[in-house]
Amino acid sequence: MSKVNSVNIKPIGRKTSALDKVLRVALYTVLITVAAFYLVPFIVMLITSLKDVEEIRTGTLLSLPSSLNFDSWVKAWSGACTGSSCGGISPYFLNSFQIVLPAVLISTLLGAINGYVISLWKFRGSDLFFAALLIGCFIPFQVILLPMARTLGWLGIANTTTGLVFVHVVYGVAFTTLFFRNFYQSIPGELVKAARLDGAGFFTIFYRIILPVSTPIIVVTVIWQFTQIWNDFLFGVAFSGFETQPVTVALNNLVNTSFGGKEYNVDMAAAIIAALPTLLVYIFAGKYFVRGLTAGAVKG
Amino acid sequence: MNSKASHSEPNQTRSGRPARLSLADWMPKIVMAPTVIITLVCMYGYMIWTAILSFTNSRMLPSYKFVGFEQYERLFNNDRWIVALTNLGVFGSLFIIICLFLGVVLAIFLDQKIRAEGAIRTIYLYPMAISFIVTGTAWKWLLNPTNGIEKMMVDLGFEDFKFNWLADPDMVIYCLVIAAVWQASGFVMALFLAGLRGVDGDLIKAAHLDGASTFTTYRRIILPSLKPVFFSALVILSHIAIKSFDLVAALTNGGPGYSSDLPANFMYAHTFTRSQVGLGSASAMVMLGCVLAILIPYLYSELRGERHE
Amino acid sequence: MANLVIENVKKSYGNTEILKGINISIKTGEFLILVGPSGCGKSTLMNSIAGLEDVTEGRILIADKDVTYTTPKDRDIAMVFQSYALYPNMTVEQNISFGLEMRKVPKEERQAEVQRVAEMLQISHLLNRKPAQLSGGQRQRVAMGRALARRPQLYLFDEPLSNLDAKLRVEMRTEIKKLHQKLGTTIVYVTHDQIEAMTLADRIAVMKDGEVQQLGTPQEIYDNPANLFVAGFMGSPAMNFIPAKVISQDGKPMLELATTSNVALPFPKQEALEAHIGKTVLLGLRPEMITEPQPHKEGQPFVTTTEVEVEVTEPMGADTMILTRVSDAEINCRSNPMYPAEAGSIIKMMFDTSKAVVFDQSTGQRLDK
Repeated sequence: MSKVNSVNIKPIGRKTSALDKVLRVALYTVLITVAAFYLVPFIVMLITSLKDVEEIRTGTLLSLPSSLNFDSWVKAWSGACTGSSCGGISPYFLNSFQIVLPAVLISTLLGAINGYVISLWKFRGSDLFFAALLIGCFIPFQVILLPMARTLGWLGIANTTTGLVFVHVVYGVAFTTLFFRNFYQSIPGELVKAARLDGAGFFTIFYRIILPVSTPIIVVTVIWQFTQIWNDFLFGVAFSGFETQPVTVALNNLVNTSFGGKEYNVDMAAAIIAALPTLLVYIFAGKYFVRGLTAGAVKG
Repeated sequence: MNSKASHSEPNQTRSGRPARLSLADWMPKIVMAPTVIITLVCMYGYMIWTAILSFTNSRMLPSYKFVGFEQYERLFNNDRWIVALTNLGVFGSLFIIICLFLGVVLAIFLDQKIRAEGAIRTIYLYPMAISFIVTGTAWKWLLNPTNGIEKMMVDLGFEDFKFNWLADPDMVIYCLVIAAVWQASGFVMALFLAGLRGVDGDLIKAAHLDGASTFTTYRRIILPSLKPVFFSALVILSHIAIKSFDLVAALTNGGPGYSSDLPANFMYAHTFTRSQVGLGSASAMVMLGCVLAILIPYLYSELRGERHE
Repeated sequence: MANLVIENVKKSYGNTEILKGINISIKTGEFLILVGPSGCGKSTLMNSIAGLEDVTEGRILIADKDVTYTTPKDRDIAMVFQSYALYPNMTVEQNISFGLEMRKVPKEERQAEVQRVAEMLQISHLLNRKPAQLSGGQRQRVAMGRALARRPQLYLFDEPLSNLDAKLRVEMRTEIKKLHQKLGTTIVYVTHDQIEAMTLADRIAVMKDGEVQQLGTPQEIYDNPANLFVAGFMGSPAMNFIPAKVISQDGKPMLELATTSNVALPFPKQEALEAHIGKTVLLGLRPEMITEPQPHKEGQPFVTTTEVEVEVTEPMGADTMILTRVSDAEINCRSNPMYPAEAGSIIKMMFDTSKAVVFDQSTGQRLDK
């Protein structure tokens, strides 16, 4: 099967006519306009965050600041008011890391070992369970919010970062298992048979043979989980306390809190700060992110 | 044919001698047990719990006095819920249709051997990497009735330009659509682009030999072969729409009043803030119903399709 | 080295019976081949011998020890797989020594083993490469090396040559035979290629639908097939099956065929045919027993010359296959390429029934045992 990925094959004899050139220009125009549509909001955020309140009031969305004023950034980080405390979003930025890092680690590990079992050590009911797990991916979390809140209270971890780690692991393991299982489907079963005959056991095979070849999917899974958990708001707002809320919740509080006039520059700066980690991950590891997206969409 | 190392459970032989159970037989099950427990309890168990609560008269705390469908009746007599459901319908349909359309068109355009395709793709997709809260915050500023787009256009000379949708109860829902489309259409484009790239090149060559123009080739051959991608995108977009909570919280907080409320926000407000646990649970169950209404036909058709092959 | 006894082994998956009672006894150092069409259960049987699958009923004994419930690791078996199953992240050297490593063999010994095996298989120059950098034939040798290094009691080969191209397959076949002669190992080998089976085996077990149809030496299976299936499976081109009426001529039972005219052929085991006079049976005659008239065979007891009409000729180089119709069945005949035979012409052909067999038309069972 040849991978010619465009209809634009030029059969012999067809020269690029004037119409083709015009269409080409139109194509690029459309694409660039759309790109502008995607970029403008971020640019506006950036510009706004660098203005002072006066400039915002007198200028427009796209008017450039007279000078690069990072005051709002400093304020967003350490001085802005999120509800009743005014320490900026830095403590909550830290919270997010405290939540995200363990959650990503644990859910990825569980996903790997689950995927390993489901693909290569099938037992009676394992496929059925996988289907049940998959369906669980799709339920709207509204149906588990209250029971989970009560459970966290009962476990003594309500309003803690530990509690949030727990929640994110529980609801992330379905996705991570899916990713690893799909990846391990392409490992031949005979490899495991050979290893067993060689005398290797369950964990030895996983550690010596399967894990070393799992790097691509580990990267995809980690990036996907990092993005999902960092960007989460629902679990954050439902299960965290004031001290332990993640940066998304803090941002929302900051934006909706206004003592005196609204400080849009601070709001924008805070928003960019909150978005920075996942944006940076996307910029540097974007193609893995895309792979995660499309892999997640191609289920079973 | 790759045979998997399927390991059936050790069973008793007819002679009655018990098979020696080795650790290797149990290890896979032990290892999966935590996930199994978590799934059963925290997904299906909780669903049932919420379902039960929806049939009780719980207010601030769960109570277990059953009142039949009373909460559901209250729900559908609640104006705010009706508004939320209607909003979901409007928002959902527009969001899905526009995303699908944009996604397909952009994917086709990008498939035309564009220079700097990688860069453009990166730009189209980056919104998906940021939180809905950040998106909501950004668009809240952009669509700000006094300082946002309206002011910019007026200052540019269009004195009569009005854009106060954010403050208009009838139009605010469209603000949600704009922001959501901005966030998710790049993802749909990525899906379709991957699908386009997976089309067998020989098909296209055959179409060329048959004399089909580029447009016809797309319309009659390529796009029909993308039906699976289309349905995947549809299911995922529906899922995003039904679950939308973050965007509303950040962009409008349900306002003005509750004219831009969505079911997820309704549920949260009533369960956690307004001490209406029974009502909130009922609303959650209805949301679950919506998701199942889309998921089950999709899964059914997938399984049926497989059997045909 | 050890012997292997498979005693009444049955295997079912739920309601489907895959193995219906297999009884095979293999001597130490014997090369046994399991051959049969896909779905006959040979791979399942292999997995059961290796302990990778449980048996529903029956026993498996290696070196006279019951290993039916022993884990694969403890059965001391090595297996060579169709897809080689080399560990992708390890070098050739690490692949070969992995099994030894699992058995806690000290490093020097492991290295010595790897050297010994690599020399035997001529892969010493590949020791530091990874599987992805090897050709198919090289991977195959490494897979065999991995099995040899373990020096197990029993070797299992699961269609190891199927993924190689034809020429390489023939080369490797000879290598395997030479290794067996040199090392005297007990081998159970699965293939669907009956030429491999014939050339490599000490004994062959022909399987179909979970049962052993016949167990015997290659020559036994070839000359004395137990039923229609075995007769048609072994030998290429396949044995001809011709419907023939049993008639009585001069007091002796003969087989009547219709070519350009009717001809009666003699049959060695006359007593077997006595009971079936008047009925139609299936005569099994291999293509090499239907030839151009050969002067030195003229007059021999079971040789009959008659005329046939040629339908198609297939020149193969050393012989020419002639397709013709006898008793409304299409048959293959093997003739000297110099013998003139054009499509549509009528030629004389010599039918040698000294090694013929007859089968019941409906059951396929041998009638002349």
